[in-house]
Amino acid sequence: MTLSVAEEKRILLDILEIKKDVLKMIFQAQSGHPGGSLSCANIIYLLYNNIMKINREDPQWNKRDIFILSKGHAAPALYAVLSKLGFIKREKLFTLRQFGSDLQGHPVKNPKLGIEISTGSLGMGLSIGVGCALAAKLDNNDRMIYVLLGDGELNEGSIWEAVMAGNHYKLDNLIAIIDRNGIQNDGSTEEIMALEPLAEKWKAFGWEVIETDGSNLREIIQGFERCKNILGRPKVIISYLIKGAEVSFMQHTQKYHGRAPNEEEFTLALKELENIEKNIKRGIIYND
Amino acid sequence: MIKADLRDTFGEFLVKLGKKNYNVVVLDSDLSYSTRTNKFAKKFPSRFFNMGIAEQNTLGTALGFAISGKIPIVSGFSIFTTGRAWEFIRFACHDNLNVKIITTHSGFVGGDGSTHNALEDLSLMSSLPNLIILIPTDNIELIKMLEFTFDTKNPFYIRLPRGYFPKIHDEDYEFLIGQPDILKDGDDICLIGTGYGTLLALESTPDIEKELKISIKIINLSSVKPINNKTLIKEIKKTSGVVTIEEHNIYCGFGSILARIISENYPMPMKFIGINESFGQSGNREKLLNFYGLNKNKITEQIRNLLLSRKR
Repeated sequence: MTLSVAEEKRILLDILEIKKDVLKMIFQAQSGHPGGSLSCANIIYLLYNNIMKINREDPQWNKRDIFILSKGHAAPALYAVLSKLGFIKREKLFTLRQFGSDLQGHPVKNPKLGIEISTGSLGMGLSIGVGCALAAKLDNNDRMIYVLLGDGELNEGSIWEAVMAGNHYKLDNLIAIIDRNGIQNDGSTEEIMALEPLAEKWKAFGWEVIETDGSNLREIIQGFERCKNILGRPKVIISYLIKGAEVSFMQHTQKYHGRAPNEEEFTLALKELENIEKNIKRGIIYND
Repeated sequence: MIKADLRDTFGEFLVKLGKKNYNVVVLDSDLSYSTRTNKFAKKFPSRFFNMGIAEQNTLGTALGFAISGKIPIVSGFSIFTTGRAWEFIRFACHDNLNVKIITTHSGFVGGDGSTHNALEDLSLMSSLPNLIILIPTDNIELIKMLEFTFDTKNPFYIRLPRGYFPKIHDEDYEFLIGQPDILKDGDDICLIGTGYGTLLALESTPDIEKELKISIKIINLSSVKPINNKTLIKEIKKTSGVVTIEEHNIYCGFGSILARIISENYPMPMKFIGINESFGQSGNREKLLNFYGLNKNKITEQIRNLLLSRKR
């Protein structure tokens, strides 16, 4: 699948809309994880918009591909994408983290809204994906299972148990995506608990490894397309993304991993995103 | 007396279930011969998943099966499954998923020793919302329990022991969730057991009744969660004290659950029999049970204490 310039422009604008919603939600709640939500918002949107088999009329359609947000703290990004699809009403977004809201700080299973399972305690999503992939094979359901992992959560031992199982059962319907933004709660991933050489680790465990520049739409889409054609083993896309992407002062820092922007920061962040929006509308695309 | 290894009953049940229900899948963490899930594995290899020595991923995979409409049965040793994979079980309960955790080697395991005994699993499991916790006393009860388990869309934890157990129920026994199963009526003291605790109560009662010249009521409570408070209170009301018996630590175990219910609804003197502040050790099962206080003398002593406190 190749993207026309017009399509690319529309997608970029959609992603900016989603990012603005993410910031508004977290600002309103005055708590949440902007850094890791902004980093992967584009991946989640591209999955739902361009890659996954879904039914926009029915989030519970039984042939749908499955998405599991293992890095559950990026919930605002997931909610904003599901709202863009029409599964979650937009006004509901701004009840994030509030008493009585369906949209808790981390995703809680709600098939009607398109949330497949609760996540948020890190290191659990890939195992769940293994179960979904095995079940799909048993049922001859040709659905794909996508699991979005944070790089920090690869510290968890249970992830590597699931990595072993994915290879053992040759789950070619299982695709893991690593948000390789390099920063976790307390600092850089290499400082806290070194992950590198990461690609080699996954290769040694029997997975097909694809590395992509996560800021490049075409490359992300090509990565997913390549995955579909590789049979007989599970696949992982190590997506080099930017923590806090597209808000200059939130980028490459742990400062906004788990902290909401204050009013001044929020206004500034929105302004930056709006400027990018204006430029895209004028035809200036940062991609490539 | 006819004795049965409950693990065999479980293994055979799974085979029958597998024939009837194609959505059933079984997961084990490299203990399928000990848990007897190997019988299912042999019959239905495509629906059996040996996940290796990785309890967390075993449970996580079960969650994935459950959200895909399958009925996953997770087996393993009680202590490893509930201990190592606790948070995954918490998520099964959190999302109210149809995951059936049925473990063996609960309580004292014998020669393997203190590292393998499961004397804390009820504490770990009983604080989880939505979870149904069952402990069978014999193979008849186990079968009825399993039928209920697979007719009910809910997370379950069933705790099976290792070893041979006598049959105490008739074939027409009806398992009712949450309800006390009255095995013997009596007026003075009520013994409430679960699992092996019930067997010990049955075995010890005739001698104790003679020795202390009292009449003892015996309740088997195989449904540890939920418990029907009303019927339980109704059953114990006419006696003047309760002794609980469990093959588990008495801290935050079966007796503690009953103590909360009874003190809240109908306060009466209670005594607790179980393992007290210990992990146990290696040894023959009978020896271990006796050494750690699951014996007739201990029950007699506790009843005496209760009778004394009543006189005071």
